[in-house]
Amino acid sequence: MRETVKLISMEGFEFVIDREAAMVSQTIRSMLTSPGGFSESKDGVVTFPDISTTILEKICQYFYWSLQYSRGKETKFHIEPELTLELMMAANYLHT
Amino acid sequence: MVFGRIDRPIIFWEDGSSIIDESVTKLKRILEGKPETAFVTEQYMKNYTTIYDMCTQKPPENYSDQLYNKFRGIFEEYAKQTVLPSIMEKHDEYMLREFSQRWDINKIMVKWLSHFFFYLDRFYTARANLPNLNKAGMTCFRDHVYESIHFNAKQVIIALIHKEREDQQIDRALLKNVLDLFVQNGMESMDRYENDFEKFFLEETTSYYSRKASSWIQADTCPEYMIKAEESLKKEKERVTHYLHSDTEPKLIKGVQDVLLVSVAKDLLEMEDSGCSALLRDDKTDDLARMYRLYHAIPKGLEPVSEAFRLHVTSEGNTLIRQAEDKATNNNVVEQDVIRRIIDLHHKYMVYVTECFQNHTLFYKALKQAFEIFCNKKVAGISSAELLAMFCDNFFKKSLNDKSNDESTIESTIENVVKLLDYISDKDHFAEFYRKKLARRLLLDRNFNDEHERTILTKLKAQFGGQFTSKMEGMLTDMQLAKEHHSGFDTYIGNSGKPKGMDFTVTVLTTGFWPSYKTSDLNLPLEMVSCIESFKAYYETKTKHRKLMLIYSLGNCHLNGRFDSKPIELIVSTYQAAVLCAFNNTERLTYQELLEQLNLGHEDLARVLHSLSCSKYKILNKEPATKTISKTDSFEFNSKFTDKLRRIRVPLPPIDDRRRVVEDVDNDRRYAIDACLVRIMKSRKVFSHQQLVSECIEQLSRMFKPDIKVIKKRIEDLIGREFLERDTENPNTYKYVA
Repeated sequence: MRETVKLISMEGFEFVIDREAAMVSQTIRSMLTSPGGFSESKDGVVTFPDISTTILEKICQYFYWSLQYSRGKETKFHIEPELTLELMMAANYLHT
Repeated sequence: MVFGRIDRPIIFWEDGSSIIDESVTKLKRILEGKPETAFVTEQYMKNYTTIYDMCTQKPPENYSDQLYNKFRGIFEEYAKQTVLPSIMEKHDEYMLREFSQRWDINKIMVKWLSHFFFYLDRFYTARANLPNLNKAGMTCFRDHVYESIHFNAKQVIIALIHKEREDQQIDRALLKNVLDLFVQNGMESMDRYENDFEKFFLEETTSYYSRKASSWIQADTCPEYMIKAEESLKKEKERVTHYLHSDTEPKLIKGVQDVLLVSVAKDLLEMEDSGCSALLRDDKTDDLARMYRLYHAIPKGLEPVSEAFRLHVTSEGNTLIRQAEDKATNNNVVEQDVIRRIIDLHHKYMVYVTECFQNHTLFYKALKQAFEIFCNKKVAGISSAELLAMFCDNFFKKSLNDKSNDESTIESTIENVVKLLDYISDKDHFAEFYRKKLARRLLLDRNFNDEHERTILTKLKAQFGGQFTSKMEGMLTDMQLAKEHHSGFDTYIGNSGKPKGMDFTVTVLTTGFWPSYKTSDLNLPLEMVSCIESFKAYYETKTKHRKLMLIYSLGNCHLNGRFDSKPIELIVSTYQAAVLCAFNNTERLTYQELLEQLNLGHEDLARVLHSLSCSKYKILNKEPATKTISKTDSFEFNSKFTDKLRRIRVPLPPIDDRRRVVEDVDNDRRYAIDACLVRIMKSRKVFSHQQLVSECIEQLSRMFKPDIKVIKKRIEDLIGREFLERDTENPNTYKYVA
């Protein structure tokens, strides 16, 4: 079990985040825990050729905010309006 | 993924489909253990993304339907082409193994592919009202593989179980897996397991054990059969834990029990020489305990056993009574022996109830019923109530002298007596006999152990209520008070300055507590009269307004007889003393003279004279020297009398008051019945004859069993005395008259 996972955006940016944070996304969670020797679960690296860096960055922030929120820290999560649409679609894709 | 980037290519069906196919093939190879590289990076993403795209594209490129069908198709095809044939080409255990393995593979495959096709589950399946992916995959297996295989599988499984029953080794883990398979293929319910396997299994089990039962019952004794039955039940229970589903357990056990125990119950329990009665006879407690364990779980299974137990105990008790009758000579029943043996019998079978029969109420009842039957039989004309009272009397007398009886023996004997009394229906007879004997002990024997007497009364009170023992407790209290009076009286005499005269003590009894004694207006010798007077004066100082009635029949006297050879001290009753003192003044007296002088009744005088002239000690000489007293006899002081002892007790033969006791109790019963009837009618106001009689019997049963004829008579009497009246319309109903 690795402590961190690496998420790679379409431009090739690598975001290294905690495994727990990444698992907020159901899609990533299934990927990492599915049996069968997928390289994703073994290496802990997931590539998203369709998600831009900006969006991916925002998503990572969201993961952490979500964890904090569930632990009781009830703050607001600010979304820049121009990112909204892409963010929603990414969320759908990632089942978050 | 339409990310606002229009340059994203649309994936068309054929392309997308082929990507998926590629992955599926790869997956199959991996699952079947064939050499294949593991999925590479991006492959998961690729598959997921492809499907995601195909579902989110705008129609007509929205391929959700097709994808769902494709998913199903993958499994169907796999099942038909590969899975089913591979199972069908094998037999027996190998077939089962293949079946089990294929099922496991299928489960994994469903899971993996569900990950890829996951997006369908998020929206599509619910919207289209279709079963979700997991269910779809499982259903495919069920419809295309399970349905064709389960019959054969079931045959193989049952054959294997049969093998195990015949003590051969089988692969239990395999059976467990396959049976789990049956359960899971029922989806949410157990009906696949139940209908495709369990039903047949239970049938097979019952026929197997039914065969065994028939052969065993022919060849084995009851204990042997029971051991085998117990063993079989144990093995079947183990079987459940090893590989059957837990739901099966109750049905299985019931089935086996029905065949092995219920249907053969009669033959088994009544088996000659080894059935229930025989086991009881031979004290085979282990086998009886086993019988209890086996039949305990079966409804009504224990009834024949408890019935046999009851009959056995009853016959043992009856034998005991008969033996006592045979041994009794001239009404001289050795009650110590009989009661002891009954107590021992009770103890023995109580152990049976607590140990073999695990304190089950059915057996308590059986024991109680058995004891109630023979405990109420008479032995040589003496009722058990009286026997028990005699037993207590002798026991207490003996324990005074016999210091070897330690406290715990006494305690336990007392407890046993109380237990035994519970079975005797005429408890009031016992109470009366006991009371009379207690009075004798207290008054005549003088040496009594207050503590022991109180112990038994406490226990009787706890068991039967305060009313049962209140009189007797009063008697004991009187004895305590009497001691105080003795010392008080001595002080009084000392203070008054008058000489005391002869040494004497008076015991004051409270009338209600003690049995009623006959008294007579005996003319006391002068010497005694003054003593009585001074005591009366003393008592006046203590309590006014109480009348003292002197009961001379109970008194004791120590006389110094100045005989020629040596003076002897005579311990006699007051009556005897009065007679003897009469000879202080004259040498010779006739019967008539004595009668007049002493003012005694004929019966008493005859008895007294008999004891002084015709029995062991001839203190008076009688003329004529016949063996009986007649009114024409005359008596003379026998100065020649002597004995080797210096002090002798001249006993008065006791009157046989057994009949009187019974009469007295019967009288009391009439009052008790009256009171009970009135009490019932007062609360019920209106009551039918039958109900009144049965309620009356029930209320009185704690003390005695009332005779129905007597109850009827009492009812008539009460009607006459206007406590009750008959209802004018319905003569069978009574009304309370306030």
